[in-house]
Amino acid sequence: MKRLMEMFLRRLGSLLATLVVMSFVIFLLVEIMPGDVAQMILGQSATEEAVAALREARGLNDPLLERYGRWISGVVVGDLGDSIYMQGVSINSILWRKVGHSIILAMTAFIIFVPLSIFFGVLAGVKEKKPTDSIISFFGLATMALPEFVSGVILITVFAVQLKWFPIVSVIPIGESIWQNLNIVVLPALSITLVMFGYISRMQRSSMISVMNSDYIRAATLKGMPRRYVIFRHALKNAMLPTITIIGMNMGWLFGGLVVVETLFGFPGMGSLLMTAIKTRDVPLIEACVLLITVIYSVSTMITDIMYSYLNPRIRYQGGQK
Amino acid sequence: MNDNILEIENLHVRFSTFDGLFSAVNNVSLNLGYNESIGIIGESGCGKSTLAFTVMRYLATNAQVEGAIRFKGINLLENSEKEMESVRGNRIAMVFQNPYSSLNPSLTIGFQLDEVGMHHQKLSKSQARKATIEALEMMNLGDPKGIVRRYPHQVSGGIQQRICIAMALLCKPDLMILDEPTTALDVTTEAVILDSIAELRDTLKMSMIYISHDIGVINKVSENIVVMYSGEIVESGPKKQIFENPVHPYTRALINCMPRGGVVKEKTKLNTIAGYVKRRGVDEGGCPFADRCDKKNDTCISKYGTKKIGEHHYAACDRAYAEDIPDKLKVRITPIARKKDPDFDSERDLLKVEDLHKIYGNKRKVYAVNGIEFSVKPHSILGIVGESGCGKSTTGHMISGLFPPSKGRIIFGDTDISIGWNKRDKETLKNIQLIFQNPGRSLNPSHTVEKIIGRTMQKLANINNAKERREKIIDILRKVDLGKEYLEKKPRQLSGGEQQRVAIARSLSISPSLIVCDEPTSALDVSVQASVLNLLNDLQVDTHVAYLFISHDLNVINYLSDYIMVMYAGKIAEYGKRDEVMENSHHPYTEALLSAVPEVDPTKQKDIIELEGMLPDPAKKIKGCPFAGRCHKQVGEICVKEYPPMVQLTEDHYYFCHIKP
Ligand code: SF4
Ligand code: SF4
Repeated sequence: MKRLMEMFLRRLGSLLATLVVMSFVIFLLVEIMPGDVAQMILGQSATEEAVAALREARGLNDPLLERYGRWISGVVVGDLGDSIYMQGVSINSILWRKVGHSIILAMTAFIIFVPLSIFFGVLAGVKEKKPTDSIISFFGLATMALPEFVSGVILITVFAVQLKWFPIVSVIPIGESIWQNLNIVVLPALSITLVMFGYISRMQRSSMISVMNSDYIRAATLKGMPRRYVIFRHALKNAMLPTITIIGMNMGWLFGGLVVVETLFGFPGMGSLLMTAIKTRDVPLIEACVLLITVIYSVSTMITDIMYSYLNPRIRYQGGQK
Repeated sequence: MNDNILEIENLHVRFSTFDGLFSAVNNVSLNLGYNESIGIIGESGCGKSTLAFTVMRYLATNAQVEGAIRFKGINLLENSEKEMESVRGNRIAMVFQNPYSSLNPSLTIGFQLDEVGMHHQKLSKSQARKATIEALEMMNLGDPKGIVRRYPHQVSGGIQQRICIAMALLCKPDLMILDEPTTALDVTTEAVILDSIAELRDTLKMSMIYISHDIGVINKVSENIVVMYSGEIVESGPKKQIFENPVHPYTRALINCMPRGGVVKEKTKLNTIAGYVKRRGVDEGGCPFADRCDKKNDTCISKYGTKKIGEHHYAACDRAYAEDIPDKLKVRITPIARKKDPDFDSERDLLKVEDLHKIYGNKRKVYAVNGIEFSVKPHSILGIVGESGCGKSTTGHMISGLFPPSKGRIIFGDTDISIGWNKRDKETLKNIQLIFQNPGRSLNPSHTVEKIIGRTMQKLANINNAKERREKIIDILRKVDLGKEYLEKKPRQLSGGEQQRVAIARSLSISPSLIVCDEPTSALDVSVQASVLNLLNDLQVDTHVAYLFISHDLNVINYLSDYIMVMYAGKIAEYGKRDEVMENSHHPYTEALLSAVPEVDPTKQKDIIELEGMLPDPAKKIKGCPFAGRCHKQVGEICVKEYPPMVQLTEDHYYFCHIKP
C-alpha cells in the first residue's frame, strides 16, 4: 500500500510538470495562429487606431512571457478569462455546463462500449478461428473502418429519420437541462461506441489469444481445471490488463473525438464549443478547452497506470522490476 | 488387469500444415509398469514433448492422432474432454520445463495449489490449504505458510519448480510426466530437485515419464531409457544396457557427442552427427536416421524394424540384425595434434584484469561484478564457469567493451582498455571479438553471409578490394566447415549451428588475438554443440587465438579450457589450471558444483553436495564470503564477517576461503 501511495505521489508530480509545460505549448500555439485578436473583436471595418488602442488595453503588446504569466495565474485561481466572441461573458459560465454535457455523453458511451467490447473481444479470443470469432472480428473491423461522421449519419438515418426513436439533432430547448433530454445522448454515444468497439474488442481478442496460448494456461488446463474455470479465473484478469491500458490511453482521444461527433449531432458539449471557438478565433476559449482536454488526458492516463499496477502484482510489489 | 499402468500402442501423431501433413510421432509403442520410471531422451524436434502432450490429450487443433493410449486399461484417446479433465492433474500430472511461465503471475501460489485439491477431491478451502502445505513440505520447502501467500515472481526459479512439482503431487497421481523440468535451472538447483524427485518416487510409489535431452539427468531418475529420433523410438532398454552397449547409431552418436566424464580436448575429439533432424512427411518409410547415418546400407529401408537385442533391450536399426557390429564400443577419435608456436612467450599476459567492478543502476544498485583480478595467457583458453547471476557474462562483456567497467582496469597487451567499445581504437576492436549465445540475434537478418563477414573485414581489417575479400571469406567459411554456397544465404536460412559457425567465421576473419565466447553452445542441441566445440578447438590449435570461454556447463568448460575460473556472486571462488581445479578443487563452491554435474555413466554415481538457499541479494554489498549463506563447510562467524583471503596453492592455482588446505 505504501508503494502505491508513493507511486501515486510520484505520478502526481510528473502530472503537474506535464501540465505546466503543456499549458505553455498551448499558449504558444494559439498565439502564433494567424490573425489579430483585436482586429477580430472590432471587425474588419475598425480603424487602425481603434485596433491599436484595444491591443494596448488588453495587453496584447506585452512580452509573451508576461502574457503567459497573466493567463496562467488566472487559470490557477480558476479564472479562465472572458470570451472574445460572446463579449463580456466569462468562460467559466459557458464552459462548465458544456463540459458537463460532454462528460455525460462520454460516460454513456463508456458504459456501453467498455463491457461490450471486452465481452465480445474475450468471446472472439476464446473461440479463435471459429465462426463466432470471424463474425465478431468482421463486425469490429467494419465499424473501425467507418469514421464517426459516416457511422453517425447511418445511425441518424436509421434511428432518427426512419424509426424516429431519437431526435435528429441533439439540442436542449432553452430553459431545460440535459436531464430532461437524455434521449439526445443516445445516438452520439452509439456513434462513439461504434468507433471504439472495433478497436478495443480487437485488442481484447488478441490479448485473450496470447494469454490462452501461454504456458500457465496450459499448466492450468493440464491440472484438470475445466475450460470455463480456466478462462474466468486464470485468463481473464491477465488478458484484461493490456485492454485497460488501451482504454485509459484512449480516454483522452475519446474526448478529442467528441468534437467530431458533437459537431455532427449538434450536441451542446465541449466539442462543439471548441469547434465554435476555433471558427470564431475566440483565443481564450480555445486555450481553456484545449487545456482542459490535456488535463483530462493526463489524469486518465495516470488513473490507468495506477489501476494497471494495482491489478498486476508484479508491479504492485516490486515497482515494476523483475 | 495387467501390470502396466500405461500402454501406448502404435501411436501416430501428425500435424497438417501449409506444407502438407508431417509426422511428429510415428508408430510409437511403449509400456510403463506400475512404479516404473522411464526416461525419454532425444534432441529437439524428436517428438518427445509431443508424445507427452498426446498422453495428456493436449494438442493443437491441426493434430491427427491414431493408435491407442491405455491408462489403467482405459483408452485415453476415446475419452471425452470432461473425462480427461478428471484424469489431468488428478491421475496423471505434468511438470513443465519453464516454471516461471507455468505459474499464473496474477494469482497467489496458494490459490493455484488449492484449486487442484478443491476441484479434484472436492475438498473445502481449508482442507485444500492443508493438503497444499503438506505437498510443499514434501518438496522440502521451508516456510510453506509464507510461500502460499506469495506470488510466483517473488520466489526463485528453483523454488518455483519445486512448487510446480508439489502441485503435481497434490492428488497423489499414478503417473507423473516431467518435461525437461530442470533444463532452465542451475546445476546445483537441478541436483537438489532431481534428488527430491528420486525420493518422491520411493515414498509415493508412482510411475514416471521423465523427458530430457541430457542422459546424465535421466540416469538419476529412471531405470529405463527410451531414445527417440524424428518421432520414432530408435532404442529402448535398461539404462545400463543402453549406456554400455548402445546398438543404434544415433544412440551411440548421442552418447559420444557429449563432453562428459572428464573428456578433454587433448585426448578426445567429440563425435558429431552430420546434418540435422528433418521434418518427416507421412509416407516416408525406412529408417528416419538414414540421411545422417554413416553405417547405412541398402537394406536400411527394406529390412527396417525393431529388433530385440537383449532382455528388455530393443533397437530399430538394420545393422542390429547383422550380428557383426565391430564398432560396438564407443569410438574415440583422436584430435589433431597441438603444435607449439616457436615464438610463443608464455610469460607475458595477453589480458590482465585488475580490481574489476560493475555496478548496474543508479538508485537500485545491482552489484554484478565485485572486484576480480585475473589474466589470460596468450594462446590459451580460460573457461569461466558459474551459475546464473555470478557475473561471468558481465565480465566477458566488459572485456569485449559492450560497456565500460564501473571501477578497475582492463589491460590488453600494453594498452588500458577499461572503456566502452565506441572509445576503443580500431586495433583493439579488431583484436578482441565477441561471440554470443544466440547467434541468430547477433547476425543482421537482412544481410547475406558474405556481407556479414565482409563488413567486419572492411571496417576493422581494411580489406577493401571486393575480390580479395570474397576469396578470404570463402577461405574462412571453409575453415568453419561451410561451403561456398553459403555466401549468398541469409541468417534465417541457416540452422542454429550454422549461424553460430558464421558468427565464429566473422570473428576469425580479422584474425583477432582474443575471442570472448559467451555461452556459445548453450542454445544448441548436444550434437550441434559437439561440432561447434570441435570447431572452436581446431581453430584454436590452428590460429593460436585465445578464448575467454564463458559457460554454465562444467563439462563443456572442462573439455575446452586450459585454465578454469569459478565465479560466485561477482567474485572469483577458484582459479587454476584445468586439471588442478577439476581434480584438486579446494573451494567449497567448486566442490559443490562438481558434485552436482549429472554423471552420464550410470555405473558412476556420486554423492552430491546439496546447496540450499539462494544467491546473496545482488542489491547489497557483501562484506564477508559471498558463499557463506549456502556453504556446507562454513567455519563460523568469520565467514560472514570477513572476506576470505586468497590461498595460493601453486603458481597459478588459488582460491578464496577461510579454510586452509
Ligand atoms: S537402419 Fe541403417 S540408416 Fe538407420 S540407423 Fe541403422 S544403419 Fe543407420
Ligand atoms: S570462506 Fe567460509 S563460507 Fe566462504 S567458502 Fe570458505 S568456508 Fe565457505
